[in-house]
Amino acid sequence: MKHFLTTFFLTLAALCPAFAQTQINGTVSDAQGPLIGVNVFVVGTLDGSITDSLGRFSFKTPRTGELTLRAVLLGYEEYSRTADASQLRGLEIRLREKAASLDEVVVTASTYSIGKSNQIKTLDALDVVMAGNSCGDVVAALQVLPGTQKVGEDGKLYVRGGESEECQTFVNGMHVLVPYSTNVEGQSQRGRFSPFLFKGMSFSLGGYGGEYGQALSSVLPMETTDVASSDKLGVSASLVDWNVGGTKAFEHSSLSFNAALTSLGLYTKLFPDRCDWTHPYRKLSGEAQYKWDLSANSVLKTYAGYDWTTVGLRTEGRSLSMNEHNLYANATLRTRFGAGWTLFAGVAESAVFSDIDDALIAGDHYHNSRNEVHLKAELQRRFSPQFKMSAGVEGYLRDSDKSYEETGYRLDYRLLGAHVDAQLRIVPRLFLNLSARGEQVSYSREWLLMPRATLSFVPSTRFQASVMAGRYSQTPEDDYIARGLRRIRQSTADHLILSMQYSTTKTLLRIEPYYKWYHHLPLLSGGVYTADGYGYSRGFDVYLENSSLVDNLIVTAAYSFNDSQRLYLDYDVPRTPEYASRHNLRLTAKYTVGKFILGLAETYASGRVFAAGTTPCYNSLDANLTWLAHPKVIVYASLNNLLGRTNVYRIHPDGSQVAATRDRFFYIGVFVSLKNNKAYDISNF
Amino acid sequence: MTSRIFKNRLFAVILALIAALHLCAAQDIQMGSLIGESLSKLQQDPTPEAYRNCVAELKRIDAMCPESAAPKYYIALQSLNFAVMNPHADQTEGLIAEAEQAISRMEELPDADPSDICTLKGFLYMVRIVQDPARNGRRYYLDVMDYYEKALKHNPDNQLARQLQQKFFEGMAEKQ
Repeated sequence: MKHFLTTFFLTLAALCPAFAQTQINGTVSDAQGPLIGVNVFVVGTLDGSITDSLGRFSFKTPRTGELTLRAVLLGYEEYSRTADASQLRGLEIRLREKAASLDEVVVTASTYSIGKSNQIKTLDALDVVMAGNSCGDVVAALQVLPGTQKVGEDGKLYVRGGESEECQTFVNGMHVLVPYSTNVEGQSQRGRFSPFLFKGMSFSLGGYGGEYGQALSSVLPMETTDVASSDKLGVSASLVDWNVGGTKAFEHSSLSFNAALTSLGLYTKLFPDRCDWTHPYRKLSGEAQYKWDLSANSVLKTYAGYDWTTVGLRTEGRSLSMNEHNLYANATLRTRFGAGWTLFAGVAESAVFSDIDDALIAGDHYHNSRNEVHLKAELQRRFSPQFKMSAGVEGYLRDSDKSYEETGYRLDYRLLGAHVDAQLRIVPRLFLNLSARGEQVSYSREWLLMPRATLSFVPSTRFQASVMAGRYSQTPEDDYIARGLRRIRQSTADHLILSMQYSTTKTLLRIEPYYKWYHHLPLLSGGVYTADGYGYSRGFDVYLENSSLVDNLIVTAAYSFNDSQRLYLDYDVPRTPEYASRHNLRLTAKYTVGKFILGLAETYASGRVFAAGTTPCYNSLDANLTWLAHPKVIVYASLNNLLGRTNVYRIHPDGSQVAATRDRFFYIGVFVSLKNNKAYDISNF
Repeated sequence: MTSRIFKNRLFAVILALIAALHLCAAQDIQMGSLIGESLSKLQQDPTPEAYRNCVAELKRIDAMCPESAAPKYYIALQSLNFAVMNPHADQTEGLIAEAEQAISRMEELPDADPSDICTLKGFLYMVRIVQDPARNGRRYYLDVMDYYEKALKHNPDNQLARQLQQKFFEGMAEKQ
């Protein structure tokens, strides 16, 4: 008996904790039904479980009395209930979907992001290099996107019925006065920046916020790469360009340099074109960058680049000779401090000096120098996940000097700007970006206030729709200001854009109808430029990217319809501007097989209307091949206009046509990393 | 490209051990022991189910110490471990989202180790490559290497970053 009692009490003692355990169970669901994978647990303990496929959970806890039960699942509001442990049985928990915060939603309306500055990514630096007809030119690569128009005689960016001057480039938020290198008519002007300088670009086709001014149609902000973590040294060579560059990495900073010579001399000897060159296109350029992580929250970036371009051509009985020096430098500081504050400050200097001999007649001389200092400061604050604000001021100091024989002008003026932007989540899934920008230009003392707004509905990660409206301004080109007796107003454009996007991991579809009203365009009247011009541009863009058809194949299709008319410059009546084509279509395909990447691109643009007639449509089928020959060596070759079509770019008033100087262009280049611990990294920055 | 890196689960367990050694020295003992307890269960039975349970437990620990970086670090690490071994499982995208959230919450903490953050970011891109080597390989491989380099620059003794970097290089070499 004694033995029995001992055994009984020992067993009872052992079982007591088990009896003390409380069972907690129930189900978790949302509006659609049971939720799987919900983490249900007692706060302050490890006691809990995950819901099964029917949303059920069940676990035991040794805790008794009052305790807090929590249910969490990413994307849902957290559920908490404090009650006596005995009451936490048979629970029916209903989770509500969590509304995304401003930081979690990226509104992509009217913007194509390149690199990793955004979740929607269409191209990176290597894509730019390997784009069908770009030959490493950022500007040419961007022309696979919808909204851009093919204007072969200068190769610049023309967006949604706007002039090329209406698209402005910014490096680390700072303005670039002349982002192209010069060339003669009929030859594409390349962008002056290497794609490898940048970690991200956000090409906005309109409807941008208050930060960006002095751009009537679009902006191309580009963000340079961060401080390099290792040394690099690389060279590249082709029939037309030779390049050497490298980076020295320090503990918290890095210094990069790059030098390049581009010359069409050898190429023209091998493959003559229709021009009679006295000296073919040649550009010598150098770039340097110093980037410094001042602290974990502060970074200083500096950039300086210089191009010297020369080209000479015998034409119409004269020997035209162009010579241009283009200098650009900027320094920016971005620092985060306090609770959600960010301060940005920057300064940029652009200086361009152009000289042309035999510009219009034998023996004449043309000179133009342009200079711009851009100063900018901005303060940003994230007040809550639902509300962010930024405010900034900036100033442009510009001067130019132009002379042709006995005529010319000197011009200098200031432009002051200020902006305020507010981003807020009105209700779950509905976001509003409100901004206002004010500007004053010194030569006319005119003030402008420009409201802008974007309303976005983001019901899921796959779909979003936005409507954007706003007013944008830009000073006329220097010639028009000078010949406008310095009283000409700024041109303005009102944008109204609707954007709809559907995206999955392998498909992106975007449709954007738009309407732009132009006011105060420069108009020649009685030998003086006035601001009485006006116009409109309307149309829609469609972009489709897909990588699900065949393994390793990525295809894109971009179609743009544009209908625009304007009365400006020397037009007598409103008409379609000469650079605008009604239909633009680009199709690209990129297929990777082993160490080879094959690319094809088809570009079509309908004819452009000139006073003396309409050009035939533009058509070019381009192909390229990239061979990853070795982790340190990449070979790239491309052939533009495979079918050899002679594309006509312009029709002069006398009926003569300006065609491409050559029908096909063949490029082959080798990129070699001499020092770099990363395979297939041909960037020197 | 790097799918072979994780052909056996042993490596992932070793990663967890290295990481545990790395962090436990610096963290609160009680929290460290809870994390250790959770990880040891995983080591005994490293099944997909065990990974999900481990991440759930780590989130419970995180709820106890919301200002501490350690639970967030392990949530991210174990979520990525699961994802790299089960790149196309139903739960993988959810766990990658957990990892991304944990990393961004670590970045908001003033005392989070930048070397650990860089390591996790490198690992995150590595997982993306494992999920779709053809599409993401060329797109992200430089990011992977950059982040591991930065992690080692911040802390040359970060064994996890070194191991992951080495495995990545081996994966690249195999591909070549």
